[in-house]
Amino acid sequence: MKKSFKAMGVPAVLLAAAVFLLAETVVVKIQTTNLRKDPKFYAETLDVLKAGDGLEKLGSREAWIRVRTSKGAVGWIHSSAVEAKKFKLAAVDKNLRTEAAASEVALAGKGFNKQVEQSYRAAHGEAGYAAMEKMLQIKVLPSEVLAFLKKGKLGESGGSK
Amino acid sequence: MKTARSWFTPAFCLAACLVLSFCSAVRQGADILAGEGKISDRDRNSIVKASDALRSTFSDISEEEEYYIGRAVAAAILSRYPAVGNPELTRYVNVLGNALVLNSDRPETYAGYHFLVLDTDEVNAMAAPGGMIFVTKGLMMTCADEEMLAAVLAHEIGHVNGKHGLQSIKKSRLVDAFQLIGQETADRYGPEKLSRLTEVFEGVLGDIVATVVERGYDRKYEYEADALSVKFLSRTGYNAGGLTDFLNTLAADRSKGDPKGWFKTHPAPRERIDRAKPTIASLGGPAAAEDVRTGRFLQAIRSLR
Repeated sequence: MKKSFKAMGVPAVLLAAAVFLLAETVVVKIQTTNLRKDPKFYAETLDVLKAGDGLEKLGSREAWIRVRTSKGAVGWIHSSAVEAKKFKLAAVDKNLRTEAAASEVALAGKGFNKQVEQSYRAAHGEAGYAAMEKMLQIKVLPSEVLAFLKKGKLGESGGSK
Repeated sequence: MKTARSWFTPAFCLAACLVLSFCSAVRQGADILAGEGKISDRDRNSIVKASDALRSTFSDISEEEEYYIGRAVAAAILSRYPAVGNPELTRYVNVLGNALVLNSDRPETYAGYHFLVLDTDEVNAMAAPGGMIFVTKGLMMTCADEEMLAAVLAHEIGHVNGKHGLQSIKKSRLVDAFQLIGQETADRYGPEKLSRLTEVFEGVLGDIVATVVERGYDRKYEYEADALSVKFLSRTGYNAGGLTDFLNTLAADRSKGDPKGWFKTHPAPRERIDRAKPTIASLGGPAAAEDVRTGRFLQAIRSLR
Protein backbone atom coordinates (compact mmCIF):
# COMPACT_ATOMS: atom_id res chain seq x y z
CA MET A 1 0.00 0.00 0.00
CA LYS A 2 2.77 2.26 1.08
CA LYS A 3 4.70 1.33 -2.06
CA SER A 4 1.79 2.06 -4.43
CA PHE A 5 1.17 5.39 -2.70
CA LYS A 6 4.80 6.26 -3.27
CA ALA A 7 4.54 5.08 -6.86
CA MET A 8 1.60 7.45 -7.39
CA GLY A 9 3.24 10.29 -5.49
CA VAL A 10 6.34 10.62 -7.65
CA PRO A 11 4.47 10.98 -10.96
CA ALA A 12 2.01 13.34 -9.27
CA VAL A 13 4.92 15.60 -8.34
CA LEU A 14 6.24 15.37 -11.89
CA LEU A 15 2.81 16.20 -13.30
CA ALA A 16 2.53 19.19 -10.99
CA ALA A 17 6.00 20.27 -12.17
CA ALA A 18 4.89 19.93 -15.79
CA VAL A 19 1.83 22.10 -15.16
CA PHE A 20 4.01 24.60 -13.30
CA LEU A 21 6.49 24.73 -16.18
CA LEU A 22 3.64 25.80 -18.42
CA ALA A 23 2.75 28.78 -16.19
CA GLU A 24 3.17 31.94 -18.21
CA THR A 25 5.93 34.40 -17.55
CA VAL A 26 6.76 37.41 -19.71
CA VAL A 27 10.02 39.36 -19.82
CA VAL A 28 10.47 43.05 -20.66
CA LYS A 29 12.41 43.20 -23.97
CA ILE A 30 12.75 46.96 -24.39
CA GLN A 31 15.00 49.45 -22.55
CA THR A 32 12.27 50.76 -20.28
CA THR A 33 8.47 50.76 -20.04
CA ASN A 34 5.78 51.64 -17.52
CA LEU A 35 3.51 49.43 -15.47
CA ARG A 36 0.15 51.17 -15.86
CA LYS A 37 -2.94 51.23 -13.67
CA ASP A 38 -5.28 50.68 -16.64
CA PRO A 39 -4.80 49.14 -20.12
CA LYS A 40 -4.02 52.41 -21.91
CA PHE A 41 -0.91 54.53 -22.45
CA TYR A 42 -2.41 57.58 -20.76
CA ALA A 43 -3.14 55.69 -17.53
CA GLU A 44 -1.34 56.38 -14.25
CA THR A 45 2.16 54.87 -13.98
CA LEU A 46 2.54 52.43 -11.07
CA ASP A 47 6.17 51.41 -11.65
CA VAL A 48 8.97 51.72 -14.21
CA LEU A 49 10.13 48.41 -15.68
CA LYS A 50 13.49 47.67 -17.33
CA ALA A 51 14.77 45.23 -19.95
CA GLY A 52 15.02 41.79 -18.39
CA ASP A 53 12.38 42.28 -15.68
CA GLY A 54 10.32 39.12 -15.35
CA LEU A 55 6.55 39.42 -14.86
CA GLU A 56 3.83 36.94 -14.05
CA LYS A 57 1.03 37.06 -16.59
CA LEU A 58 -2.39 37.29 -14.94
CA GLY A 59 -4.60 37.99 -17.95
CA SER A 60 -4.99 40.04 -21.11
CA ARG A 61 -7.32 42.46 -22.90
CA GLU A 62 -6.73 43.05 -26.62
CA ALA A 63 -3.02 43.96 -26.91
CA TRP A 64 -2.61 44.65 -23.18
CA ILE A 65 -1.37 42.18 -20.57
CA ARG A 66 -2.18 42.27 -16.84
CA VAL A 67 0.92 41.32 -14.87
CA ARG A 68 2.35 41.04 -11.37
CA THR A 69 5.92 42.27 -10.79
CA SER A 70 8.51 40.61 -8.52
CA LYS A 71 7.66 43.29 -5.91
CA GLY A 72 4.00 42.27 -6.05
CA ALA A 73 2.66 45.30 -7.93
CA VAL A 74 -0.20 44.47 -10.33
CA GLY A 75 -0.88 46.51 -13.47
CA TRP A 76 -0.95 46.57 -17.27
CA ILE A 77 1.77 46.57 -19.95
CA HIS A 78 1.51 46.57 -23.73
CA SER A 79 2.29 43.23 -25.38
CA SER A 80 4.85 44.84 -27.74
CA ALA A 81 7.07 45.59 -24.71
CA VAL A 82 7.48 41.99 -23.59
CA GLU A 83 8.60 38.61 -24.81
CA ALA A 84 6.39 35.70 -23.86
CA LYS A 85 7.95 32.75 -22.13
CA LYS A 86 6.23 29.40 -22.47
CA PHE A 87 7.39 28.18 -19.09
CA LYS A 88 9.60 28.99 -16.18
CA LEU A 89 12.09 26.68 -14.54
CA ALA A 90 12.66 28.22 -11.14
CA ALA A 91 10.27 27.77 -8.31
CA VAL A 92 8.84 30.79 -6.58
CA ASP A 93 7.59 34.24 -7.40
CA LYS A 94 10.39 36.04 -5.62
CA ASN A 95 12.79 34.44 -8.10
CA LEU A 96 11.03 35.88 -11.16
CA ARG A 97 13.47 38.71 -11.54
CA THR A 98 16.53 36.48 -11.08
CA GLU A 99 15.38 34.09 -13.80
CA ALA A 100 14.69 36.85 -16.27
CA ALA A 101 17.91 38.67 -15.50
CA ALA A 102 19.85 35.46 -16.15
CA SER A 103 18.17 35.14 -19.54
CA GLU A 104 18.89 38.76 -20.45
CA VAL A 105 22.54 38.37 -19.45
CA ALA A 106 22.79 35.54 -21.95
CA LEU A 107 21.18 37.68 -24.64
CA ALA A 108 22.83 41.00 -23.84
CA GLY A 109 26.39 39.90 -24.51
CA LYS A 110 25.52 38.54 -27.93
CA GLY A 111 24.96 39.64 -31.48
CA PHE A 112 25.00 43.20 -32.78
CA ASN A 113 25.75 45.03 -29.56
CA LYS A 114 27.61 48.07 -28.25
CA GLN A 115 30.99 46.39 -28.80
CA VAL A 116 30.19 45.73 -32.48
CA GLU A 117 28.96 49.31 -32.88
CA GLN A 118 32.20 50.66 -31.37
CA SER A 119 34.23 48.49 -33.73
CA TYR A 120 32.12 49.69 -36.71
CA ARG A 121 32.50 53.35 -35.68
CA ALA A 122 36.25 52.94 -35.25
CA ALA A 123 36.49 51.68 -38.83
CA HIS A 124 33.97 54.02 -40.49
CA GLY A 125 34.16 57.23 -38.49
CA GLU A 126 31.54 59.02 -36.47
CA ALA A 127 29.57 60.56 -39.36
CA GLY A 128 25.94 61.02 -38.38
CA TYR A 129 26.24 59.44 -34.92
CA ALA A 130 26.16 62.74 -32.95
CA ALA A 131 23.03 63.88 -34.83
CA MET A 132 21.45 60.45 -34.31
CA GLU A 133 22.16 60.57 -30.53
CA LYS A 134 20.54 64.02 -30.40
CA MET A 135 17.49 62.63 -32.20
CA LEU A 136 17.23 59.82 -29.62
CA GLN A 137 17.05 62.44 -26.84
CA ILE A 138 13.67 63.71 -28.11
CA LYS A 139 11.05 62.51 -25.64
CA VAL A 140 7.28 62.83 -25.90
CA LEU A 141 5.08 62.24 -22.86
CA PRO A 142 1.75 60.41 -23.24
CA SER A 143 0.11 63.46 -21.61
CA GLU A 144 1.47 65.65 -24.46
CA VAL A 145 -0.01 63.24 -27.00
CA LEU A 146 -3.34 63.26 -25.18
CA ALA A 147 -3.46 67.08 -25.18
CA PHE A 148 -2.54 67.09 -28.91
CA LEU A 149 -5.34 64.64 -29.72
CA LYS A 150 -7.92 66.60 -27.73
CA LYS A 151 -6.92 69.94 -29.23
CA GLY A 152 -7.05 68.42 -32.72
CA LYS A 153 -10.49 66.91 -32.06
CA LEU A 154 -9.06 63.46 -32.65
CA GLY A 155 -9.91 60.15 -30.98
CA GLU A 156 -8.74 59.14 -27.55
CA SER A 157 -8.82 55.38 -27.79
CA GLY A 158 -6.23 55.09 -25.04
CA GLY A 159 -3.59 53.81 -27.37
CA SER A 160 -2.98 50.69 -29.32
CA LYS A 161 -5.66 48.01 -29.60
CA MET B 1 6.13 -2.28 -14.69
CA LYS B 2 3.18 -0.44 -13.26
CA THR B 3 5.53 2.24 -11.93
CA ALA B 4 7.23 2.63 -15.30
CA ARG B 5 3.86 3.19 -17.00
CA SER B 6 2.79 5.70 -14.35
CA TRP B 7 5.97 7.64 -15.03
CA PHE B 8 5.21 7.80 -18.73
CA THR B 9 2.48 10.48 -18.78
CA PRO B 10 4.21 13.12 -16.67
CA ALA B 11 7.53 12.38 -18.36
CA PHE B 12 5.81 12.88 -21.72
CA CYS B 13 4.34 16.19 -20.49
CA LEU B 14 7.79 17.37 -19.45
CA ALA B 15 9.27 16.39 -22.81
CA ALA B 16 6.43 18.20 -24.60
CA CYS B 17 7.12 21.33 -22.53
CA LEU B 18 10.75 21.28 -23.56
CA VAL B 19 9.94 20.68 -27.22
CA LEU B 20 7.50 23.57 -27.16
CA SER B 21 10.13 25.95 -25.80
CA PHE B 22 11.95 28.54 -27.92
CA CYS B 23 15.64 29.50 -28.11
CA SER B 24 15.47 32.23 -25.50
CA ALA B 25 13.63 29.98 -23.12
CA VAL B 26 16.33 27.35 -23.59
CA ARG B 27 18.95 29.97 -22.76
CA GLN B 28 16.96 30.98 -19.72
CA GLY B 29 16.70 27.40 -18.51
CA ALA B 30 20.39 26.73 -19.14
CA ASP B 31 21.35 29.84 -17.20
CA ILE B 32 19.23 28.86 -14.22
CA LEU B 33 20.54 25.31 -14.15
CA ALA B 34 24.12 26.57 -14.43
CA GLY B 35 23.48 29.17 -11.73
CA GLU B 36 22.21 26.48 -9.37
CA GLY B 37 25.23 24.28 -10.12
CA LYS B 38 23.06 21.55 -11.69
CA ILE B 39 25.00 21.67 -14.96
CA SER B 40 28.55 22.81 -15.69
CA ASP B 41 29.35 26.10 -17.44
CA ARG B 42 30.58 24.04 -20.37
CA ASP B 43 27.23 22.26 -20.68
CA ARG B 44 25.44 25.59 -20.36
CA ASN B 45 27.51 27.00 -23.21
CA SER B 46 26.78 23.98 -25.41
CA ILE B 47 23.05 24.38 -24.81
CA VAL B 48 23.14 28.12 -25.58
CA LYS B 49 25.23 27.47 -28.71
CA ALA B 50 22.73 24.91 -29.96
CA SER B 51 19.78 27.24 -29.37
CA ASP B 52 21.51 30.16 -31.11
CA ALA B 53 22.14 27.97 -34.14
CA LEU B 54 18.35 27.85 -34.47
CA ARG B 55 18.18 31.58 -35.24
CA SER B 56 17.73 31.87 -38.98
CA THR B 57 15.43 34.68 -40.14
CA PHE B 58 14.97 38.43 -39.67
CA SER B 59 12.31 37.74 -37.04
CA ASP B 60 14.99 36.15 -34.82
CA ILE B 61 16.85 39.47 -34.57
CA SER B 62 16.43 40.67 -30.98
CA GLU B 63 14.99 44.08 -30.06
CA GLU B 64 18.41 45.18 -28.83
CA GLU B 65 20.10 44.08 -32.06
CA GLU B 66 17.42 45.89 -34.09
CA TYR B 67 18.18 48.99 -32.00
CA TYR B 68 21.92 48.89 -32.84
CA ILE B 69 21.17 48.28 -36.53
CA GLY B 70 18.67 51.17 -36.50
CA ARG B 71 21.18 53.52 -34.86
CA ALA B 72 23.70 52.86 -37.63
CA VAL B 73 21.09 53.25 -40.42
CA ALA B 74 19.89 56.55 -38.88
CA ALA B 75 23.50 57.76 -38.59
CA ALA B 76 24.06 56.88 -42.28
CA ILE B 77 20.95 58.92 -43.24
CA LEU B 78 22.06 61.85 -41.08
CA SER B 79 25.54 61.77 -42.62
CA ARG B 80 23.86 62.43 -46.00
CA TYR B 81 21.21 64.98 -44.95
CA PRO B 82 21.40 67.63 -42.22
CA ALA B 83 18.40 68.03 -39.89
CA VAL B 84 16.23 71.16 -39.84
CA GLY B 85 17.17 72.87 -36.58
CA ASN B 86 13.74 74.20 -35.63
CA PRO B 87 12.66 72.99 -32.14
CA GLU B 88 8.99 73.93 -32.67
CA LEU B 89 8.80 71.92 -35.90
CA THR B 90 10.68 68.96 -34.37
CA ARG B 91 8.29 68.96 -31.41
CA TYR B 92 5.22 69.08 -33.66
CA VAL B 93 6.39 66.17 -35.84
CA ASN B 94 7.32 64.10 -32.77
CA VAL B 95 4.01 64.63 -30.95
CA LEU B 96 2.03 63.90 -34.13
CA GLY B 97 4.21 60.86 -34.87
CA ASN B 98 3.83 59.46 -31.36
CA ALA B 99 0.04 59.97 -31.43
CA LEU B 100 0.04 57.59 -34.43
CA VAL B 101 2.57 55.25 -32.80
CA LEU B 102 0.36 54.75 -29.73
CA ASN B 103 -2.39 53.64 -32.11
CA SER B 104 -0.13 51.32 -34.10
CA ASP B 105 0.37 47.56 -33.74
CA ARG B 106 3.87 47.93 -32.29
CA PRO B 107 3.81 51.02 -30.07
CA GLU B 108 6.82 50.00 -27.98
CA THR B 109 10.28 49.35 -29.40
CA TYR B 110 13.66 49.09 -27.64
CA ALA B 111 14.27 52.87 -27.49
CA GLY B 112 10.93 54.20 -28.77
CA TYR B 113 10.03 56.21 -31.89
CA HIS B 114 11.71 59.50 -32.80
CA PHE B 115 11.03 61.80 -35.76
CA LEU B 116 13.17 64.36 -37.56
CA VAL B 117 12.80 66.72 -40.53
CA LEU B 118 15.71 66.61 -43.00
CA ASP B 119 16.87 69.82 -44.63
CA THR B 120 16.53 68.94 -48.32
CA ASP B 121 14.10 69.88 -51.07
CA GLU B 122 13.99 66.23 -52.14
CA VAL B 123 10.53 64.77 -51.43
CA ASN B 124 11.10 61.70 -49.28
CA ALA B 125 10.43 59.85 -46.02
CA MET B 126 12.52 57.04 -44.52
CA ALA B 127 12.42 54.76 -41.50
CA ALA B 128 15.37 53.12 -39.75
CA PRO B 129 14.67 49.79 -37.98
CA GLY B 130 13.49 50.27 -34.40
CA GLY B 131 11.67 53.56 -34.97
CA MET B 132 13.87 56.49 -36.07
CA ILE B 133 11.76 58.14 -38.79
CA PHE B 134 12.72 60.94 -41.20
CA VAL B 135 10.67 63.25 -43.41
CA THR B 136 12.24 65.82 -45.71
CA LYS B 137 11.51 69.53 -45.88
CA GLY B 138 10.44 68.93 -49.51
CA LEU B 139 7.83 66.42 -48.36
CA MET B 140 6.55 68.71 -45.59
CA MET B 141 6.05 71.44 -48.19
CA THR B 142 4.16 69.01 -50.45
CA CYS B 143 1.62 68.32 -47.69
CA ALA B 144 -1.34 70.71 -47.56
CA ASP B 145 -2.57 69.73 -44.11
CA GLU B 146 -1.97 67.59 -41.01
CA GLU B 147 -3.93 64.68 -42.52
CA MET B 148 -1.43 64.29 -45.36
CA LEU B 149 1.62 64.46 -43.08
CA ALA B 150 -0.02 62.02 -40.66
CA ALA B 151 -0.58 59.61 -43.57
CA VAL B 152 3.12 59.71 -44.52
CA LEU B 153 4.28 59.24 -40.91
CA ALA B 154 1.80 56.38 -40.41
CA HIS B 155 3.15 54.74 -43.60
CA GLU B 156 6.71 54.89 -42.22
CA ILE B 157 5.53 53.62 -38.79
CA GLY B 158 3.99 50.75 -40.79
CA HIS B 159 7.45 49.89 -42.19
CA VAL B 160 8.85 49.76 -38.62
CA ASN B 161 5.87 47.71 -37.38
CA GLY B 162 6.37 45.22 -40.22
CA LYS B 163 10.18 45.17 -39.76
CA HIS B 164 10.46 45.79 -43.51
CA GLY B 165 14.00 47.19 -43.17
CA LEU B 166 15.20 44.04 -41.45
CA GLN B 167 13.50 41.96 -44.15
CA SER B 168 15.80 43.53 -46.74
CA ILE B 169 18.86 41.88 -45.16
CA LYS B 170 20.19 39.13 -47.42
CA LYS B 171 19.35 35.74 -45.99
CA SER B 172 22.90 34.38 -46.46
CA ARG B 173 24.23 37.31 -44.45
CA LEU B 174 21.87 36.57 -41.57
CA VAL B 175 22.90 32.91 -41.60
CA ASP B 176 26.56 34.03 -41.38
CA ALA B 177 25.76 36.40 -38.53
CA PHE B 178 23.83 33.87 -36.48
CA GLN B 179 26.52 31.24 -37.00
CA LEU B 180 29.21 33.63 -35.81
CA ILE B 181 27.15 34.76 -32.84
CA GLY B 182 26.17 31.20 -31.99
CA GLN B 183 29.80 30.09 -31.74
CA GLU B 184 30.66 32.78 -29.23
CA THR B 185 29.95 32.23 -25.56
CA ALA B 186 32.19 34.82 -23.88
CA ASP B 187 30.77 38.12 -22.62
CA ARG B 188 32.94 40.10 -25.02
CA TYR B 189 34.10 39.13 -28.50
CA GLY B 190 37.76 38.43 -29.14
CA PRO B 191 39.54 40.51 -31.83
CA GLU B 192 39.09 37.99 -34.66
CA LYS B 193 35.40 37.30 -33.98
CA LEU B 194 34.75 41.00 -33.50
CA SER B 195 36.36 41.80 -36.82
CA ARG B 196 34.25 39.18 -38.62
CA LEU B 197 31.07 40.23 -36.85
CA THR B 198 31.76 43.89 -37.69
CA GLU B 199 32.11 42.88 -41.35
CA VAL B 200 28.72 41.14 -41.23
CA PHE B 201 27.25 44.21 -39.47
CA GLU B 202 28.57 46.42 -42.32
CA GLY B 203 26.92 44.07 -44.82
CA VAL B 204 23.61 44.21 -42.94
CA LEU B 205 23.72 48.03 -42.95
CA GLY B 206 24.58 48.04 -46.66
CA ASP B 207 21.51 45.92 -47.43
CA ILE B 208 19.18 48.14 -45.39
CA VAL B 209 20.57 51.54 -46.49
CA ALA B 210 20.42 50.45 -50.14
CA THR B 211 16.76 49.55 -49.66
CA VAL B 212 15.59 52.40 -47.43
CA VAL B 213 17.55 55.26 -49.01
CA GLU B 214 18.45 54.23 -52.55
CA ARG B 215 16.35 51.49 -54.11
CA GLY B 216 13.13 51.33 -52.09
CA TYR B 217 11.34 48.39 -50.47
CA ASP B 218 9.77 45.54 -52.34
CA ARG B 219 6.35 46.66 -53.65
CA LYS B 220 4.47 44.25 -51.39
CA TYR B 221 5.93 46.01 -48.34
CA GLU B 222 4.92 49.42 -49.71
CA TYR B 223 1.34 48.26 -50.16
CA GLU B 224 1.43 46.69 -46.69
CA ALA B 225 2.70 49.99 -45.21
CA ASP B 226 -0.15 51.83 -46.99
CA ALA B 227 -2.71 49.42 -45.52
CA LEU B 228 -1.17 49.91 -42.05
CA SER B 229 -1.18 53.68 -42.57
CA VAL B 230 -4.93 53.60 -43.24
CA LYS B 231 -5.46 51.47 -40.12
CA PHE B 232 -3.38 53.69 -37.80
CA LEU B 233 -4.89 56.93 -39.20
CA SER B 234 -8.38 55.63 -38.65
CA ARG B 235 -7.61 54.46 -35.08
CA THR B 236 -6.14 57.86 -34.23
CA GLY B 237 -9.23 59.62 -35.53
CA TYR B 238 -7.83 61.05 -38.76
CA ASN B 239 -9.55 60.88 -42.11
CA ALA B 240 -7.61 58.07 -43.80
CA GLY B 241 -8.24 59.89 -47.08
CA GLY B 242 -5.13 61.89 -46.12
CA LEU B 243 -3.15 59.06 -47.73
CA THR B 244 -4.86 59.29 -51.11
CA ASP B 245 -4.83 63.10 -50.94
CA PHE B 246 -1.07 62.97 -50.47
CA LEU B 247 -0.62 60.42 -53.26
CA ASN B 248 -2.77 62.53 -55.60
CA THR B 249 -0.56 65.54 -54.86
CA LEU B 250 2.49 63.40 -55.62
CA ALA B 251 0.94 62.13 -58.85
CA ALA B 252 0.50 65.75 -59.95
CA ASP B 253 4.10 66.51 -58.92
CA ARG B 254 5.39 63.47 -60.76
CA SER B 255 4.42 65.15 -64.01
CA LYS B 256 7.26 67.55 -63.27
CA GLY B 257 9.54 64.57 -63.80
CA ASP B 258 11.48 64.61 -60.51
CA PRO B 259 13.29 61.27 -60.57
CA LYS B 260 14.69 61.48 -57.01
CA GLY B 261 13.57 60.62 -53.48
CA TRP B 262 10.07 59.26 -52.99
CA PHE B 263 9.52 58.72 -56.74
CA LYS B 264 12.58 56.56 -56.97
CA THR B 265 11.94 54.53 -53.82
CA HIS B 266 8.14 54.12 -53.94
CA PRO B 267 5.69 52.55 -56.44
CA ALA B 268 3.68 54.87 -58.70
CA PRO B 269 1.11 56.89 -56.69
CA ARG B 270 -1.78 55.87 -58.99
CA GLU B 271 -1.32 52.16 -58.27
CA ARG B 272 -1.21 52.85 -54.55
CA ILE B 273 -4.33 55.02 -54.69
CA ASP B 274 -6.24 52.26 -56.52
CA ARG B 275 -5.27 49.75 -53.85
CA ALA B 276 -5.97 51.94 -50.80
CA LYS B 277 -9.22 53.58 -51.97
CA PRO B 278 -11.72 50.75 -51.26
CA THR B 279 -10.56 50.36 -47.62
CA ILE B 280 -10.65 54.11 -47.05
CA ALA B 281 -14.15 54.34 -48.52
CA SER B 282 -15.35 51.53 -46.24
CA LEU B 283 -14.01 53.34 -43.16
CA GLY B 284 -16.01 56.50 -43.64
CA GLY B 285 -14.65 58.85 -40.97
CA PRO B 286 -14.60 62.63 -40.82
CA ALA B 287 -15.40 64.33 -44.12
CA ALA B 288 -12.70 66.97 -44.03
CA ALA B 289 -9.64 68.11 -42.13
CA GLU B 290 -10.46 70.17 -39.03
CA ASP B 291 -9.41 73.80 -39.24
CA VAL B 292 -7.62 73.55 -35.90
CA ARG B 293 -5.39 70.77 -37.27
CA THR B 294 -4.66 72.53 -40.54
CA GLY B 295 -3.93 75.67 -38.54
CA ARG B 296 -1.32 74.05 -36.30
CA PHE B 297 0.26 72.26 -39.28
CA LEU B 298 0.70 75.55 -41.18
CA GLN B 299 2.02 77.20 -38.02
CA ALA B 300 4.61 74.41 -37.55
CA ILE B 301 5.91 74.56 -41.13
CA ARG B 302 5.92 78.35 -41.50
CA SER B 303 9.69 78.48 -40.89
CA LEU B 304 10.26 76.25 -43.93
CA ARG B 305 8.57 78.61 -46.40
